[in-house]
Amino acid sequence: MATVEIADLRKSFGAFPVVHGVSMGFKDGEFIILVGPSGCGKSTLLRMIAGLEDVTSGTISIGGRVVNALSPKERNIAMVFQNYALYPQMTVAQNLGFSLELSKMPKPEIEAKIKESAEILGLTPLLDRKPSQLSGGQRQRVAMGRAIVRDPEVFLFDEPLSNLDANLRVKMRAEIKALHQRLGSTIVYVTHDQVEAMTMADRIVVLRSGKVEQIGTPMDLFDNPKNMFVAGFLGSPAMNFLTGRLAADGSAALVLGNGERVALARRPPAAGDSDVVLGVRPQDISPDPENGTAATVKVIEPTGTETHVLVELAGQEITCVLGARLDINPGDEIRLSFATPAAHFFDAKTEARLETGSTKHEG
Amino acid sequence: MTNMDLFQTPRGQAIVLMAPALAVYSLFAIWPMIDVVILSFQDWNGIRENRDWVGLQNYHHILYNDPVFWVAFRNTVIWTILSVVFPPLLGLLLALGLNQRLIGRAPLRAIYYLPVIIAPIAVATMWRWMYDPFFGLFTQMLTDMGLSRWIVDWLGDKEVALYSIFVAYVWQSVGFSMVLFLAGLQSVDKSLIDAAHIDGANRREIFKHVTLPALRPTITIVLVLSTISSLKAFDIVYGMTGGGPAQSTQMLALWAFTQSMQIFDYGRGSAVSVVLLAITLVIVVPYMRWSQRREEEAR
Repeated sequence: MATVEIADLRKSFGAFPVVHGVSMGFKDGEFIILVGPSGCGKSTLLRMIAGLEDVTSGTISIGGRVVNALSPKERNIAMVFQNYALYPQMTVAQNLGFSLELSKMPKPEIEAKIKESAEILGLTPLLDRKPSQLSGGQRQRVAMGRAIVRDPEVFLFDEPLSNLDANLRVKMRAEIKALHQRLGSTIVYVTHDQVEAMTMADRIVVLRSGKVEQIGTPMDLFDNPKNMFVAGFLGSPAMNFLTGRLAADGSAALVLGNGERVALARRPPAAGDSDVVLGVRPQDISPDPENGTAATVKVIEPTGTETHVLVELAGQEITCVLGARLDINPGDEIRLSFATPAAHFFDAKTEARLETGSTKHEG
Repeated sequence: MTNMDLFQTPRGQAIVLMAPALAVYSLFAIWPMIDVVILSFQDWNGIRENRDWVGLQNYHHILYNDPVFWVAFRNTVIWTILSVVFPPLLGLLLALGLNQRLIGRAPLRAIYYLPVIIAPIAVATMWRWMYDPFFGLFTQMLTDMGLSRWIVDWLGDKEVALYSIFVAYVWQSVGFSMVLFLAGLQSVDKSLIDAAHIDGANRREIFKHVTLPALRPTITIVLVLSTISSLKAFDIVYGMTGGGPAQSTQMLALWAFTQSMQIFDYGRGSAVSVVLLAITLVIVVPYMRWSQRREEEAR
């Protein structure tokens, strides 16, 4: 178990920069999730921590020791890969023990370690099988077992659940979280799935185009996103954005492009001359037959517990999450209220959030 | 069933579409093979109207009364062993080298493959010139380096000729193994190599535990193809020495040709061919079965 410190880390492939001066620190035992769209540099960052990719400049320290020049083996890390990367010709037991064998650990000790990690992960009945005889979830568990046997200071996970089907992914998510609670080791986990990030992480690092957008606890990022990117990336369905101007009369309202007024819970500080973007999560939009803003229903998606309704408002598409059973049809007009205290306001030009400090959630 | 019905089923369509190719293949590949087996039990000089049945006489002759057959047999065995070891091994080393990120990797790959596409008879001619004991490249080079005592009559010395031809054969065939291994190396899972790095494996251990297992199907193919092509070694020997000097480079395939086409004893020539076919099947079929089983086990 160890801390991880990253200072002004940069990476270029040839003349093409991928990671632009990233700095962050992970505490001992923390579950860190690096999240971002594909091509944001998150996997490259993880591979640099692992020692699989050279660092162009900057430093990486694990447990207070700069590891830039060390080989993966010397960094005392373990990594779980997206496609499991199990050695196909070896049995589960051989896969688990391979790194220990290479480190010349005595046989009885290796066997004890294999047995122990197999028990933790429920792999004991599978020890003599080849990877090809295992299901996706079992392979993923072997890949984790291979990491556990080494007692690494830091676990690295590279999109470990993306090859699993939806049900199994939910199950393995819980297993990885339980494993972290049991082992208490530092985990750096890369994913493009914001649900994984929200549900598992102690802290999330949101990356875009090789830069850190924001670092914080899941709820902190959810409630206080620094900008439109972070706000739109976390949460499902994604946050809605409505662009307009603050009402000229100083009231708490946004005037959309077509002149339609949207009532707000509060008036944000003006962003100079530029337009303001209202950010509202689908769950915070509510029907308001009397005072709501009129919108046209386009698509209705019942999920059982709730209904996702895609509406069109002043030429912009808005998703809202409404009650379970609704008596509406595509083409209907409904009136919606955006006057939620949980709304965020952004500068349309810079995409930065207009109010700093935390937003209070009431009700 | 009418013609229309035949076209309706997938099986019928397959038969109709394959018919032209099947006809050509049967006429020029399958029938000659059957005819060779029949001929090996007959006596025929290639011109006579009648082919006389002689039973096992041809086989008896080549096995008991033909010293050249056994020389050819011995040479073919040596040749096959050498060809199964050296071209694949060199091909693998070249492929490993040219799989690295090198400047000029693509042209180098093309250059090493080039000899494969040259007709063997042209290769034989080139190398015959280079081996010329008076004006040849090797003689010149050794003289220039002051090593003239090493000069031998490369293709005229009974002890050396077979190996001289073999060097030319390696030069020509190594590119073929190299290309197959290069293709095989592309299929090596990059994340397995990453995983092995993390597990603390060095280059040699990665080669042993990741690359080599992934290359296993390629190795099977390369070895089977090398065995088959070495057993039927003919053109390069024919072009360089014609089996001489004093039959010292005679091969089974070449001897079958000589018996039939030059001595005009088609019965004996066919018997040699059938023996060669039997040897090939005895080596290749069990090996392919064995490696197939291993692959299935690994899966």
